[in-house]
Amino acid sequence: MGPTGFLARGVALAAVLAAVGLTTGGRVLAQQEPFYAAAYVSELPTDPRSPVWGRAAASEVPLIPQAGILPALTQASVPKVTVRALYDGERLAILMSWQDRTRDALSGRPDLFRDGAAIMFPVTEGLPNVCMGAAGQVTNLWHWKADWQEDIDKGFQDVVDHYPNFYKDVYPFVTGSPPYRMPQDFSAPEAQAYLAGLSAGNPLSQPLKSSPVEELVSQGFGTATHKAAQNVSGQGVWTDGTWRVMFSRSLKAADQEAADLQGRKQVAVAFAVWDGSNQEVGARKQLSSFLTLAVGEETNQMPVWLWGVFAAIAAATVWLGWPALVRRSPRE
Amino acid sequence: MPKVFNWHINREMEYPYPATPPTRQFAAVFDTNKCIACQTCSMICKNAWTSGRGQEYMWWNNVETKPYGGFPQGWDMKVLSLLGPQSWDRGTNTYTGMTLIESALAAAQGRQVTGYLPEDAEWGNVNIGEDEAVGLIEGGTSFGLPHPVWSFYLQRICNHCSYPACLASCPRKAIYKREEDGIVLVDQERCRGYRECVRACPFKKVMYNVATRVSEKCVACFPRVEQGLQPFCTIGCPGRIRINGWIHSPQEADLESPVDFLVHGRKVALPLYPQFGLMNHIYYVPPIHVPPEYLRQMFGPAVDRAMENYRQVKDDPEMLGVFMLMGATDRWIEKFRVVQGEAVGYDAKGDEIARVPLKEPVVVRPNFDPVLTVYRHNTM
Repeated sequence: MGPTGFLARGVALAAVLAAVGLTTGGRVLAQQEPFYAAAYVSELPTDPRSPVWGRAAASEVPLIPQAGILPALTQASVPKVTVRALYDGERLAILMSWQDRTRDALSGRPDLFRDGAAIMFPVTEGLPNVCMGAAGQVTNLWHWKADWQEDIDKGFQDVVDHYPNFYKDVYPFVTGSPPYRMPQDFSAPEAQAYLAGLSAGNPLSQPLKSSPVEELVSQGFGTATHKAAQNVSGQGVWTDGTWRVMFSRSLKAADQEAADLQGRKQVAVAFAVWDGSNQEVGARKQLSSFLTLAVGEETNQMPVWLWGVFAAIAAATVWLGWPALVRRSPRE
Repeated sequence: MPKVFNWHINREMEYPYPATPPTRQFAAVFDTNKCIACQTCSMICKNAWTSGRGQEYMWWNNVETKPYGGFPQGWDMKVLSLLGPQSWDRGTNTYTGMTLIESALAAAQGRQVTGYLPEDAEWGNVNIGEDEAVGLIEGGTSFGLPHPVWSFYLQRICNHCSYPACLASCPRKAIYKREEDGIVLVDQERCRGYRECVRACPFKKVMYNVATRVSEKCVACFPRVEQGLQPFCTIGCPGRIRINGWIHSPQEADLESPVDFLVHGRKVALPLYPQFGLMNHIYYVPPIHVPPEYLRQMFGPAVDRAMENYRQVKDDPEMLGVFMLMGATDRWIEKFRVVQGEAVGYDAKGDEIARVPLKEPVVVRPNFDPVLTVYRHNTM
């Protein structure tokens, strides 16, 4: 092959690579930020251990300790979380799983803190401050709490569950018999007056929970507020040093304070994890930066490395096949 | 960080928020010399405020025996150790060490305030160390001042500080200081049970309710204070060691007000651990039988003068008057006066609400009562 032939072979190779490049261009650009696609399934799993989760690509999300504001976490205890997402056209389900040697599901002692996980979505236009938004930048938080999960799974974790041998002679206006149980034996209005947090309507003090996930709205650190409407369901299971926690909600926002995920192919999302045995609570957590979650891009599920393989195959075909192609040419 | 002035340590100090003093500041004087640790204050508080589910372990008011007792266990020794060396310029009564907020350890802990979160068991023995003195009384020991073997009782409630550590540490601003009386409260609706306040308060007077899973604290019986009444712990004291009043800065002291009079006028009452830098408003008359070295750490260098002044009380009708007015009324004494051997307390309208003799009359009754024709033994 002469120099002209070599040049022609090179041009053909470049053309094929350019074609592959154009096709994947959008994907490559999007890949500059981490990009996670929710996989479509006809029916969403209800258990974080369901094999259906295997149909979603697992994405490892690095976490960093929150150190921008006090109280800060000085050292990360959970460096990464694995995230999977599924949708069925109506609802979005996200699974977070991470390594945690201790299962901290109790908070009914002055020195016990629960494990937790949270997902944040922007509500207002644009990308908000990753630190729970800012004034005017509203974020919607889904906060799963291990102690709420325990209250749901086993009934309200009461004083008697934490201190089996405790005895107190009398509680004002209590009904039933010692050692008494929350909330049923303290349901008289006069008895509830002695449960200040509950009387004040604090959702954290509510012993009966319908979901282990609290839905909040926030405009920056210190402003997380329990939403009037609670629409996120979830479940968390700890086995052999791993938490698997799933969240699910309808894609369509039920109210103004919720992130609307309906018809939005790319959604910004951030994750946070708390390790209770490390006394992580509130701002003492590890969090991710904002990532892009693709919901409903069914045709574009191919990962970028696969495009790379295609490009390599195409390049090899052109390069190796070129001499045969030119030999068949009538001009030769 | 903003600078605020703290007259307890006679200098400016760092605090996360600018100073916004309330209209008036809740305060009290406790005379440690008169306390017998009967715990009536603790019980009256318990009955009033902490008899609910999740509050079983709480004692918003407690009385502990010093030097060893503490609720939670060892709170004072732990905080003092964390704070490290604490130095005063004794000439000017200026604290030259670091406060709990200024301490470098706070930042190293990733916190606003140097502190620690007590372990569960440390809350479990409210009266451990009760009546334990510093040593055994050996044969031949005689009493003098200070006592070679000593203990004393420390009565503790929330200090309703001017610069509260709990408020400084709360990332949610769920703790607030009331504009009308300086009482510090935890907003029960806003708190999310993070316990940053429990960790930050060196006096450990914010406590986590294990049933409602949010934190609570001494409320200074604010519904009573709003009605011109003194808190339950003050009026329940059989030893009559407490009196409430509004505290002012030394420059604005109102010497007709009982608390200002004892703190600024006679300088016999001092804040506990002023070096923490919180400008805390429970003022203690130090126990005069205790070695001053110990008390200087506890109340600062002004303690020597306070003890000296307190010893003059029998010859000081005005000072004696305030001490006699302690426990003489359940009403909040705004002003007092000593008139013809009697101390008189007045409410905000200037109406007389208490009148007590400076010296209670001695009555000697014959042991035979001719009216009832009975003999009486001298048992009362």
